[in-house]
Amino acid sequence: MKALELKGITKQFPRVLANDHINLSIEKGEIFSIVGENGAGKSTLMKIVYGLYTPTSGEIYVFGKKVNMKSPHDAIKLKIGMVHQEFMLIPRFTVTENIVLGDEPRKGIVFDFKRAVKEIREISEKFGLKVDPLEKVANLPVGIQQRVEILKILRRGAEILIFDEPTAVLTPEETEDLFKTLRALKKDGKTILFISHKLKEVMEISDRIAVLRRGKLQGVVKKEETNERELARMMVGREVVLEIPRVKVERGPVVLSVRDLAAKDHRGILKLKGVSFDVHAGEIVAIAGVEGNGQMELVNSLIGFTRPVKGKIILNGEEMKLVTPYNVRRKGMAYIPEDRKRRGLVLPFKIRENIIMGQHTLYPFSKGGILNDKVINQFATKQVEEFDIRPRDIYISAGNLSGGNQQKVILAREMAMKHNFLLASQPTRGLDIGAMEFVYKHLIEEKKKGIAILLISLELSEVLGLADRILVMYEGEIVGETVPEKTNEEELGMMMLGIKRNERLVQ
Amino acid sequence: MMAMDIFRRIFFGHKEEYWWMKILVPITSIFVALIVGAIFIWSTGRSPVLAYKYLFGASGLVPGPYFKQHFAEMLLSSSMFIATGLAFAIAAKGGLFSIGAEGQFLVGAITAAYFGYAKPFASMPTVLHLTVIFVMVMIAGGIWGAIAGWLKAKMGIHEVITTIMLNWIALYLIEDWLVTGPMKANVETGVSGTPYVSETAKLPIILKGTRLNISILIIIVVAYLTWFLLYRTTFGFEIRAMGYTLIYNMDAPRAAGVSVDARITQTMFVSGAVAALGGAFIILGVLFQFPPVFEGGYGFDGIAVSLIGQNEPLGVFLAGILIGGLRTGATAVQLAHIPKTFPSIIEGLIVAFIALQELIRYLLMKLFVRKRNNTVSGGSDEKAVSGGVAK
Repeated sequence: MKALELKGITKQFPRVLANDHINLSIEKGEIFSIVGENGAGKSTLMKIVYGLYTPTSGEIYVFGKKVNMKSPHDAIKLKIGMVHQEFMLIPRFTVTENIVLGDEPRKGIVFDFKRAVKEIREISEKFGLKVDPLEKVANLPVGIQQRVEILKILRRGAEILIFDEPTAVLTPEETEDLFKTLRALKKDGKTILFISHKLKEVMEISDRIAVLRRGKLQGVVKKEETNERELARMMVGREVVLEIPRVKVERGPVVLSVRDLAAKDHRGILKLKGVSFDVHAGEIVAIAGVEGNGQMELVNSLIGFTRPVKGKIILNGEEMKLVTPYNVRRKGMAYIPEDRKRRGLVLPFKIRENIIMGQHTLYPFSKGGILNDKVINQFATKQVEEFDIRPRDIYISAGNLSGGNQQKVILAREMAMKHNFLLASQPTRGLDIGAMEFVYKHLIEEKKKGIAILLISLELSEVLGLADRILVMYEGEIVGETVPEKTNEEELGMMMLGIKRNERLVQ
Repeated sequence: MMAMDIFRRIFFGHKEEYWWMKILVPITSIFVALIVGAIFIWSTGRSPVLAYKYLFGASGLVPGPYFKQHFAEMLLSSSMFIATGLAFAIAAKGGLFSIGAEGQFLVGAITAAYFGYAKPFASMPTVLHLTVIFVMVMIAGGIWGAIAGWLKAKMGIHEVITTIMLNWIALYLIEDWLVTGPMKANVETGVSGTPYVSETAKLPIILKGTRLNISILIIIVVAYLTWFLLYRTTFGFEIRAMGYTLIYNMDAPRAAGVSVDARITQTMFVSGAVAALGGAFIILGVLFQFPPVFEGGYGFDGIAVSLIGQNEPLGVFLAGILIGGLRTGATAVQLAHIPKTFPSIIEGLIVAFIALQELIRYLLMKLFVRKRNNTVSGGSDEKAVSGGVAK
């Protein structure tokens, strides 16, 4: 039986054709994945299925019946539920309150909290999704919050569940848990639509996979009959080099030295507990670790956002007494931030403005405090061309670019800045394969130029592929140092979870 | 098309998609406000046609009887509205919601009054005397603004709170202490308030037979300099970057090396200095002393002016002229048996519609953009194009 059928779905936005005659049919009880690069039209398609957008043309059939959805309300009535990328939960409310919000059990006109809690306990048990109904959502880890979202749509009787990039915010362990949940739901006869651009996950969980590229359906394949490489090719439209080439570069002098550095987070909790390491010219040092183990505080200390509690930062032989973003940048540090939308770009600024930010006070972009538009435009045009930023229009706001192109604007800016040390903090976060490959290429370029690179990453494949040396961080300390040739994902994973320590290097 | 392009460049200095919306929205708001105002008048049984005839006839905005006088009065009050409007716009561009123009205006006024009559300065030649006064006025107003900026930067206290408090502090400090105490005029002269400024401190008249003085010329230069500062300098670049990110707690400018804390204080200094100019205009061009009871409100009207002008210097200038005109024509509406506060209703309606600008924008877009898109569909594809290395 077909749970969902899409016939000739087209969605035309002003200036953008997001979906172009998409035909899909999804069987009841299968896990159906939709993959594609950022901006390929996956999310638009799902928003159409969920009633958030109305298609320009095309028909939707749910359980064999032609439907015409005007809002998510209609979708919910048709037993379609969606877990959004960003959760729609109220942090100060309890799990129960969040789940029943909008459809509360009542006693007369009063909200019947007890019955609500009982209801949550029941469905939580039925689907094996453990939650504490009385806990406030703000106190829950992201993985559990997602569970709350799932329970919310299950309670509304959803038969078709849409997951929009659900793993983007999860740790690897949480992802495993989610997959267990998905399999259980499948067993229960639910139909699951899984949106992602992470091919490894898609290959693990799906029954069938549809590939979108630039709004067009490239094909639907069975998991057994395909592999990551083929999917990547379909997604990008050409062969993608997933393996990162090893480049040998003569190691130069020490560029960055960190000694016994400790720092607190914004709530005043000591998160970085005295780390020491060196980064040499022409070397990529990777810091591997599960998110929240002090990486953020390390980055903030290095860039001057946090004043360290103790320790030294020595950049190019000079101890940085007062670390401010301005000072470290003048001393030769470039920075690819982990959150490009908040830290990397001023979204309403044009490409031409974003691409000089940080260098705008320097000649030739400005002289005596007055900007030189001509030089700026020339530079921006050149960089847009060189870094293949699309569209090639320097007057487009950064906020209107896809994630990959936003990252390219940052690369184009940081690479052009005079620097010999690059702090790359999760430089491929949220990027699709094509853009990832682009970032890797440029990191290797940098290394060849003899630039010292500190790579902070949560992706083990990235760490193993790029790094010359790997430092593993756990609970604010470096618990191990190794080289990619002598380790593997399992060992790194154990170290990251604090199970195994590399005693040789940690006295 | 060429003219439009030049206009756009002066207005924004930037290529902007649907840039004309920024012009169309306020114009529509003004138009709708006038219609709604007309309905108000009509519903009280009076003639809207007559009301508007008197209002605009005496506003100095359209030629008519005594045009020269009205025109001069209009520009005289406009220059003050433009000053406070620009002050609000500068702060707003930096993401700061400054309500402090009122207090800065007062500080500017009292400073102008003091340096206008104080002995060692009063004997200077006009040009030098005025220069000294304006420099001191801008420093004083600037400091008044910078206090709020500094408190925000260092202590994280919201500028709305501090600027409102500083308004009251300025008012009581001046009216209840300075004007009745240290700066009180000599009792024998029979003057209440501060002494009158010397002849050398009065702004030169530029239109014979009227009160119109150089304040309008000064504010034109200041408006241009504001535009230049915002769009042509690195300082303005940083202010705007900050303006787009500050309220969302985003760190991009800071991560790029912009000293955001310093910029907040500096932006508030510039904003305060410009607002204070308005205070100098009223003392040196209209009142010639600081009176015991000061009729303020220019600072708050500046917020309206800036909103109508979309926080853009040229827009603020035009909005200032409009509000100045409405205020000038206010007394004349009484001839149509309508209270002279009626223009304030119009002003309020315009601001209300500006506040609804998302709706107006949406309606206008529906009206105009649909057609344009049909002609370019399939053209450039901004969002659909994603990463990937071209071979």
